[in-house]
Amino acid sequence: MSRSAQKLVAWIVLIGVFIGLQPLNDALSYNRLVLGYARPTPVTKVLQFDAPAMTGIIVGAMMGGFREVAASMLWMKTHSMWHSGEGTKWDHLSLMRMTTLLDPHWLEPWRITAWHCAYNLYVETDDPKEQARLLDMGVNVLKEGISWNPDRFELYFELGWTYFDKIRDYPEAARWLAAAVRFEHPEHIERLIAHAWERLPDMEKALMWYDYCIKRRPSDHTAKGATITIRERYMPAERLVQQRRYDEAAEAVQQYLLVYPTSTLGLHMMGYVYEQAHDYEKALEYWSLAAETLALNHYARYKVAELCERLGWPVPEYASHIYMREQELRKEMAVTHEVN
Amino acid sequence: MRAIFRVARATYYEGWRKRFLNGILVFAILIIGSSWVFTYLQPGAELKMLIDVGLGSIRFFGMLIAVFLGSRLVPDEIEKRTIYTLLSKPVTRMQFLLGKFFGGLATVVSNMALMGLTFYIVFMIKAPQFAQPTEDSPAYKMEFMYENIAKAVLLSFFEMAVVMGIAVVASVVFSWILAAIFSFFVYFTGQMSEFFGHLADPDTGASPVARVVLLTVYRVLPHFENFDVRESILTDVPVIWSYVGMTIGMGVLYITIVLALGYLFFNQREV
Repeated sequence: MSRSAQKLVAWIVLIGVFIGLQPLNDALSYNRLVLGYARPTPVTKVLQFDAPAMTGIIVGAMMGGFREVAASMLWMKTHSMWHSGEGTKWDHLSLMRMTTLLDPHWLEPWRITAWHCAYNLYVETDDPKEQARLLDMGVNVLKEGISWNPDRFELYFELGWTYFDKIRDYPEAARWLAAAVRFEHPEHIERLIAHAWERLPDMEKALMWYDYCIKRRPSDHTAKGATITIRERYMPAERLVQQRRYDEAAEAVQQYLLVYPTSTLGLHMMGYVYEQAHDYEKALEYWSLAAETLALNHYARYKVAELCERLGWPVPEYASHIYMREQELRKEMAVTHEVN
Repeated sequence: MRAIFRVARATYYEGWRKRFLNGILVFAILIIGSSWVFTYLQPGAELKMLIDVGLGSIRFFGMLIAVFLGSRLVPDEIEKRTIYTLLSKPVTRMQFLLGKFFGGLATVVSNMALMGLTFYIVFMIKAPQFAQPTEDSPAYKMEFMYENIAKAVLLSFFEMAVVMGIAVVASVVFSWILAAIFSFFVYFTGQMSEFFGHLADPDTGASPVARVVLLTVYRVLPHFENFDVRESILTDVPVIWSYVGMTIGMGVLYITIVLALGYLFFNQREV
């Protein structure tokens, strides 16, 4: 074969194989995604040109096989920044985010990053809108972490705990904690779900979860004690509310408030009874009392803001209220978008 | 065929005589042998770390060997002028190029086999300590992991074959240093090829020109990430043979393209 003929054959082979390669490449990319072989890649973040995500991907590619090692090194850097007093700086958060993106199956960075946003950075500002944004960031970090680790209880629990302890959005807390108990989990989570419902207050659901705890472990004294308390103190009032005998219900709770005037559950229950009776001013009075009694009772503050809004009064700015309102608005917008 | 085999055999022995490659191999074996030491970095995820460091080291050091060896195979012959003696014999340029490629590949594969063996020994000793069988993680998963690891190492062989091909062809066109830099660049961007595909998506809002460029890069670059199945090992997902076969097929096709290009460049070059 002449040299020019050989060249022609080489070109034909080159072009032919290149064209033939493309469907194979596409099939492999698809298979990797479907079979779960693809390394975690924050594609949506890339599409949003999120700087830490882009850097994480490039570092990941540069490090080739050592993404986990790179993530560990970055994590150690965040530790040293924390201990040198630089923990509240935004650079710290970028490092944390990069760690989560480099090794998304490592749960600790997700948990700590979310905690850092919702707790540490939260107290660095007094602006409720900024605080609400930080709560949103913390929640979103955990939701993203869950998307990478959907079959582990830890991040569901962490998100439930953030809703329970920080945002005090008890229905959301109960929802995420209930998601956590679908997997192998420590038994205290079920009790926490019951606690969330009793603080709402939704005593029937709380009792249902406490009963579940007792069935699961008959020697669960915490659940037994809580069941007795609810049945004695609040269930009579709950039954009276269901019968629309609101004055009697309020009186039933008032008996306990006389003995324990700062009882959070008692105050919540009174607020709930008056809300059911459509006596919003009276309900506001009790929710305000609950908010003043306990510095961290963000749920009571949320209720205060909600009732002020309902009464057409000036709405005080509370981070948890701003956050929950935004979430409600987002849900409404999503529903409207879906309907349209 | 015999000419290719002879050139390959000479290249193989020559490869083993290169001291810097021996240095990389010794260092790689040391790192892989002590990969369990890194597990302290992630308490509770020791097995994951062991696999990641071990398999990552095989790929990383395999890549170093493939690039440095591949980028010096042809330039060394030109520099020492031995290529003139070879090409004046009944050895065609294609046979020379193929012989160099297969000889270099045999060196890389034997180096990687040693690294793989070291990792297997470390894994067999250390993994049972890190993964106590529980209800959630039964013992059979370990056997399943051994198989997946073997498949991961096999895919790494073919990945390095592609890298080697790129390095050999680049060395035909550029000086060996430039060829090595070029090969590293292609390897690292090839790890991210999927992102170029995502960025070329119309939803990203990229301009039509940028999208054409990104799509071309995506189509031309070897998709090196397809050879990486560590994620499935870490998440207990079985690596099916059809996937392994398809990926090897993709690697062979890339090697064919690269060698055809190498032949065309080598034909143009005045030696």
